[in-house]
Amino acid sequence: MRVMKLLMLAFAGLVASTAASFAQGTVSDLPRRETLILENPEGTIKNPGWFNIWAINAGGQYTGLHQLAMDTLWYIDPERGLDGSWQNSLAAEKPIYNADFTEMTVKLRPGIYWSDGVQFTADDLVYTVETQIKTPGMRWSALLALNVDSVRKVDDWTVVFKLKKPNSRFHALFTVRFNAIWMMPKHVFERAPDPLRFDFNKPVSLGAYTLYGYDPDGKWFVWQRRDDWQRTTLGRYGEPGPKYVAYVDPGPPDKRVIAQLNHDLDVIHDIAPEGMFTLAKQSKSLKTWFKGFPYGHPDPTLPAVVFNLQNPTFQNRDLRWALALLIDIRAVAMASYRGAATISAIAIPPTGTHPDDYHKPLQDWLAGFELDTGKEKIKPYDPTMGQQIAAMLRPSMGDQIPTDPAEIARSFGYGWWKPNPTAAAELLERAGYSKRGNAWTGPDGKPLSIKIMVEGDSRPVMTRAGTMIAQQWRQFGIDAKIDVAQGTNMLDRRGAGDFDTFIGWSVETYGGHPDLAFFLDSWHSQFVAPPGKTQSPRNWQRLSSPELDKLIEQIRTVSFEDPKTVELGRDYAKFMVREMPIIPLMAYNVFTAMDETYWTGYPTADDPYTDPVPNWGNSRLMMVRLKPTQP
Amino acid sequence: MKPFLAYLAKRLLQFAVVVFIGVNITYVITHSTPIDPVEQSVTAATSFGVTSPEAIEMMRASLRQLYGLEGSPVEQYLSFWRRVLVGDFGPSLSAFPTPVSTLIWRAMPWTVGLLLVSTLMTWIIGNLIGGLAGYHRRNRLLKLVGIVSMGIHPIPYYIVAFVLLIVFGFVWPVLPISGGAGMSADRGDTFGFALDVLVHSILPSLSLMAVGIGGWFMGMRALVSNIVTEDYVTYAELGGVGRRRILGSYVMRNALGPQVTGLALQLGAIFNGAIITEQVFGYPGLGSLLISGVNSGDYSLVLGITSVSIIAVSAAVLVIDLLFPLVDPRVEVR
Amino acid sequence: MRILAILRDLLRYNIEFAAGLVLVGLVAVMALLSFASPYPALDVYVVPPDVPPSWDYFLGTTSRGQDVFWQLTVAIRNTLTFGLVVAALSRIIALVVGLVAGYKGGWVDRVLMSINDTFVVIPLFPILVLFYFIMRDAMSWAMLALITAALGWAYDARLIRAMAMSLRTREFTRQAYFSGASTGRILVQEHLPFVLPIVFSTTMNNINWSIGIEVTLSVLGFTDINTPTIGGMIYWANQHTALVAGVWWWIAFPVALVVMLFVGLFLLAISMNEYIDPRSRLARMGGGA
Repeated sequence: MRVMKLLMLAFAGLVASTAASFAQGTVSDLPRRETLILENPEGTIKNPGWFNIWAINAGGQYTGLHQLAMDTLWYIDPERGLDGSWQNSLAAEKPIYNADFTEMTVKLRPGIYWSDGVQFTADDLVYTVETQIKTPGMRWSALLALNVDSVRKVDDWTVVFKLKKPNSRFHALFTVRFNAIWMMPKHVFERAPDPLRFDFNKPVSLGAYTLYGYDPDGKWFVWQRRDDWQRTTLGRYGEPGPKYVAYVDPGPPDKRVIAQLNHDLDVIHDIAPEGMFTLAKQSKSLKTWFKGFPYGHPDPTLPAVVFNLQNPTFQNRDLRWALALLIDIRAVAMASYRGAATISAIAIPPTGTHPDDYHKPLQDWLAGFELDTGKEKIKPYDPTMGQQIAAMLRPSMGDQIPTDPAEIARSFGYGWWKPNPTAAAELLERAGYSKRGNAWTGPDGKPLSIKIMVEGDSRPVMTRAGTMIAQQWRQFGIDAKIDVAQGTNMLDRRGAGDFDTFIGWSVETYGGHPDLAFFLDSWHSQFVAPPGKTQSPRNWQRLSSPELDKLIEQIRTVSFEDPKTVELGRDYAKFMVREMPIIPLMAYNVFTAMDETYWTGYPTADDPYTDPVPNWGNSRLMMVRLKPTQP
Repeated sequence: MKPFLAYLAKRLLQFAVVVFIGVNITYVITHSTPIDPVEQSVTAATSFGVTSPEAIEMMRASLRQLYGLEGSPVEQYLSFWRRVLVGDFGPSLSAFPTPVSTLIWRAMPWTVGLLLVSTLMTWIIGNLIGGLAGYHRRNRLLKLVGIVSMGIHPIPYYIVAFVLLIVFGFVWPVLPISGGAGMSADRGDTFGFALDVLVHSILPSLSLMAVGIGGWFMGMRALVSNIVTEDYVTYAELGGVGRRRILGSYVMRNALGPQVTGLALQLGAIFNGAIITEQVFGYPGLGSLLISGVNSGDYSLVLGITSVSIIAVSAAVLVIDLLFPLVDPRVEVR
Repeated sequence: MRILAILRDLLRYNIEFAAGLVLVGLVAVMALLSFASPYPALDVYVVPPDVPPSWDYFLGTTSRGQDVFWQLTVAIRNTLTFGLVVAALSRIIALVVGLVAGYKGGWVDRVLMSINDTFVVIPLFPILVLFYFIMRDAMSWAMLALITAALGWAYDARLIRAMAMSLRTREFTRQAYFSGASTGRILVQEHLPFVLPIVFSTTMNNINWSIGIEVTLSVLGFTDINTPTIGGMIYWANQHTALVAGVWWWIAFPVALVVMLFVGLFLLAISMNEYIDPRSRLARMGGGA
């Protein structure tokens, strides 16, 4: 009995002591009002003491390392940027090409210093390029080795690249869309025996923050603002607000929501739509990209139903269009994002500057687009789909749903294909299929059976979209089901072409700039792998089209800045509609949730100076605009 | 002495054989994975930025060389064993070039600490209460405790852990629900850090104990109620020996035998409980490391962790088997 | 006839048995109801999502637009089937190994016991995770059941072996042996009836154990989450952050049902254990010490 009493006393003591420590704040010993806490979607880093970002896979990247400590020549913001989406960062001006794009000259910005006091010069740039070419196996070795014939410094602030072949977009390697080739500090790395095995701990920063501390078990990284922040490229915008910035692993989605409700987490990278709705209901200090529904930020990627075009079944355009006409995008938006989706009928993400360059101007063409089903001619485009989704949500969400049509178009998208089972049946029949009983069968008598590969746990929203699409095809009489391939398995199978269709994206753009070459260049048929071999990004559908090839080759000869690229982009969009090699669905909405209890000044759709998604390299612009809420 | 030495030798041989077979099975399983770690790394490195198909080919070739994935399967097998015998499991393929053993040693204290303490405390508390319950058959408090612990015992561990998480993390948030220690905890401040770790371990260990106590309780109670009817106990009672003395020296001591064997097996099963506990509570131990390795296709890491588990479990069983005759003199070594 | 008499005794004297039977019975009824489900098990968004328990939707609906009640019936049926299959398979292995080892003794016994030791010592979860790691989507439920059964026989085989060893020295065994009965016949006809009661009670524990594994693996996402199971329901609920979003019924009811099953099976197991030991049986029924 005595033993029991002792035990109970001990337990009570333990509980009491926890209450005491909780009162202090369980999060950290840093002054909360000066600390910004963000989520790192990489989770817990296996070897946190590794900061050499140039070695592949060796440590964490989005721990604040590439957002706050790294820097390179140019940035393109997925949104509008602080002074325009194009930013000359370490470079003083835009890249200078010669007439046939075989030479690129870079003029660097003087007055930028590493955090240990050494000035950044052309030596660092040359060192970065030459080291990675000399040491194969580094992150950008292959890209540089393939493109760069020679690099030399003309003076401390000028570098000239000689390219192996004409490349009008060579500068893209040094332009941050999400990341890019970061600069290596020559004076640190030249002392290391092997750049692949050097851990770069403590890292020397070129950005406005240095490493303050990190968790040996990989759960958090804390960065501190440099005292000499004016000597960094971010400094020209002003003093970064947060003195300390922490990137943490907050755990599974419900824990993230709980953490933010307890004001222990300022920026959540992404949560399920339900989590976002809960925060909207319960948190008074929530800030999101869109003020109301759909809350999330549309990333410049385009989830779509991607067909494996090397599979003979899907080589028939009529079949692909029939499958598109069987999809009710309203139900898919509801199933995946609970309606909080920005739909797109064309193969360009409806985000950043693209709606103004592509989606709005093409509305007339889309409305007039005619499809011949063999039995009739139909106009499949319904320009009011976005408004219909808004109307569906208004009863339950009330005034969180915008009413202004321009706003609806911006948040929910313009139009999409009207579901048309009759037309779909006619197209299938022309393709050689016939309905026997309840099931559609091919000319060889075998039932039409399609598997949609989805990522399961890793991307629940896409999985839900895929599940709904499979259900809609099933209801029509096609034997469709989803095929879960989690994590690395999905990446393997996607690359190997081991799928019928999958829900994912093969279209990724800059967002803030209309040039589509970022992804489109790799869609040229010269890069298509034979069946069974691994396909390189991003032409997962293994499309091989002479018409598209001509378009791509044209884009290659046109400069990045030329307005002709927008025209060519529109031609691309029209081609994609006619051929339908992928069925575009919607933008990839990231439900980034921000808490205004301690910090204010986050980017939103009304003030789109950058995107708030915390693992993007350009999220560093946020630091400049964030100010403490409680001074 | 001689029969004991013979027994010792036989048991050591058995230990070595079991470990050898176990690690081999694990090796075969991990190496028959269709996942190619080089593909993983290449995909991870090229997912977001500018890329070109030719660049990817080049990257693939150089990584293959770097990771040392060349050589026939037989060569790889032999070099694997050569390294394992000196405790080196090679570099981790998802955190190259950090050695797998470094990662394991970093995570090990968390797992071992949490589970060792929880298992021992569960064993002590469970046996204590069980013994008391078996001896004082009419005590209502003990009966109540018994029913509660037996009620929780059959519930799958995940659910108990999850419920505790909800109750103490969400409904009444007084305990930290994730991590091994708080953020920016100063590891130099030993006492403060130790307290922090302790506080973070309350929920995980509570969940483990809640589920485990019932088992020991029932076992001990059954054993004790058998012994209580034995002659020598009745004799001692009649002879006026103090109750506490009877309970301690006569009853419990004799009941402990099978419970100690059970403890050995439980200690071995530490690595089982680790995975779920660590997933639910975000504890940075071996379980989390294993899941992370599986999700990134890093078979070196997975192989290392599983091998360590097998060795640890076999070793625990071996140690208890050898110590058992000391606890229970009735057992003869065969 | 004997079985009915035993059941009658158990029911009359042992309230734990009665309670256990009721709980398990309820669960079995739920499982059978699944065949009457008006919605196809795999379909989503067939009903309005996130509706709390009400008259229209008895146990509420999930965020995926499924009726919790009907999903639960299919889920418990799948989970239960898995548990039963694993228990059956591992019983068979345990019986074969235990009886043969206990009866034959000698080197057969030593070999079988070494194999047994290896299996006892193998860390269960890492191996299951390992199998998932290499098989990924090829891991069908049949495969998982097979592997789980292969890992679950070791403990009980030892128990059976202990029993068999004591039976070996009994008179009727010698009699059968000298009459020329083969080993197989002796094991099946003479020993099996003695061993069965123990096997039966360990089966309950085994079902609990295997269902626990299914739930845990499914919740972690390591199984085919398309097939509705109890673990799968909790997995999807977590995906949709159900608890934080206030959709507590999605988690509470599957958990409650599986706990009912567990406690029921557990009660059955301990009451049968008690019955098997004549001393405790008599103590319970009011005779003896």
